[in-house]
Amino acid sequence: MDAAAGQQQEPQLSLAAVRDALVREEDSVVFALIERARHPRNASAYTPAAGGGRSLVEFFVREAEALQSKASLLLPSAGRYQKPEDVPFFPQDLPSHLFPAKSYPKVLHPVASLVSVNDAIWKMYFNELLPLFTVDGDDGNYAETAALDFACLQVISRRIHIGKYVAEVKFRDAPQDYSPAIQAKDKDTLMNLLTFKAVEEKVKRRVEKKARTFGQNVTLEDSANKQENVAEDSGCKVDPKVLSKLYDQWVMPLTKDVEVEYLLRRLD
Amino acid sequence: MAARALQTLLLCNVALLLQLLSPCTGLSLDTVREFLTGEEDTIVFSLIERARYPLNRPAYDPAYLGFGPRHDASFAELFVRESEAVQSKVRFIHPRPAGRYQSLLEIPFFAYRVPFAMAPPFNFTSELYPAPAFVNVNDAIWSTYFNDLLPLLAKNGSDDGNYAVTVDTDLACLQVLSRRINYGRFVAETKFRGDQQTYTSLIQSKDRDALMKLLTSEAQEDVVKRRVQKKAVVFGQSITLDGPIETDARNSSQAKFKVDPSVVYKLYDQWVIPLTKQVEVEYLLHRLD
Repeated sequence: MDAAAGQQQEPQLSLAAVRDALVREEDSVVFALIERARHPRNASAYTPAAGGGRSLVEFFVREAEALQSKASLLLPSAGRYQKPEDVPFFPQDLPSHLFPAKSYPKVLHPVASLVSVNDAIWKMYFNELLPLFTVDGDDGNYAETAALDFACLQVISRRIHIGKYVAEVKFRDAPQDYSPAIQAKDKDTLMNLLTFKAVEEKVKRRVEKKARTFGQNVTLEDSANKQENVAEDSGCKVDPKVLSKLYDQWVMPLTKDVEVEYLLRRLD
Repeated sequence: MAARALQTLLLCNVALLLQLLSPCTGLSLDTVREFLTGEEDTIVFSLIERARYPLNRPAYDPAYLGFGPRHDASFAELFVRESEAVQSKVRFIHPRPAGRYQSLLEIPFFAYRVPFAMAPPFNFTSELYPAPAFVNVNDAIWSTYFNDLLPLLAKNGSDDGNYAVTVDTDLACLQVLSRRINYGRFVAETKFRGDQQTYTSLIQSKDRDALMKLLTSEAQEDVVKRRVQKKAVVFGQSITLDGPIETDARNSSQAKFKVDPSVVYKLYDQWVIPLTKQVEVEYLLHRLD
């Protein structure tokens, strides 16, 4: 969760604050996809190497994550992956922290650090999402597209794992509603409690609007009427429908998976 | 391990030979302008992402690390060096050269050491004239970014200790600014080819002022500055389902945008455009070497 203006990490645990965080991530998701869409698919970069070796993208992500967490060896709070919403894709490789992350007050149940849906995100991103918003082809710029893929993966992962805060807020608001289902390990009831179709519809439409706005070709000659013209989607750098599909089929369901997983262990 | 490296080296050389023989993409004023315009979006996005975090000054202060392995480097410098090393390492694990710094479109901020045995011969696009192909102003970009731009950009508090995440966004800004500004080499090459006679005589007389004047089009620069400011408005606004879409900074206070559009205008006016022209002049001065 981002710092409030002028503050050290003060956890703002209200539904409004958590929703604000989710809304802000939408912009970052759209930017990241727009940037990635400038390059073609470059599928050979994420195909496993001959003989079952690691793909180029996997190699890059492992190295980049190791670097970002190593930062805590220099300065305790400086490394990545200390906050519950920052979850690595390859945790086994990371050097363990030498110093406790004392600057982050614990607002979540300790079990939060065990909850990760990154395997599902990784598969979804390369197998389902990339083909939807990148053109077929290869421009040889694998190092650059690997970095852009990593940026997309990180922001999508962060948005989804903010679900841990969503779950905590909802639990605190109505523990009597959630506790019986948690104790009975009733995933379906929990999922029902966490689902608000009306809110989800709004999210889909808003993220689609953001893709349309941020993905447009901005020129000095634009007139105000242009934004109303739905046919303009074809000029968009990322198809807005891809964004609403991403949120509808993957981001929101996976976020709720995180919420359910967190809640199931909340009373431990 | 050695056999694998040798195999990679051989494969790289074959691939390089093929690349050297392939035709270069056309350089024209249109493609150059298209590239620069595309970079505007990336620059605005990167600035918006950086502006999410506080200034985090200790990350940029060499004195802060105290007892680190390098006493004269800030956290940011160490982080950028290591990130650049990772990005260049990528080329060794793929049969086809794939590292970030091979096309010459990007020049790293810190020269990285690469074990000679593993490094294929450096391949670069044949559009640039070899002598000035490495001309760059990365040192100026580095100091301008941290000393002049960041204080204007990062208004969201002073320090959250979250340095790896913050410097990662700094790196994205630095890389795109460097790519855009050092693209001046390609701009210069295009302009040179378009009027070899005029440029040649100015280059031979080492007339920097006249070259700078020839390269400058105030009308064109004005268009660029106003457009990138508009992009900051469009991309930096808060979008709600029922709210309007902003396209004009004059309609509302600067505070409601994630990045102050006037700061983006200033960035281009005072730094991006002048530094790009500096690269162009330097490139041209060595174009006949």
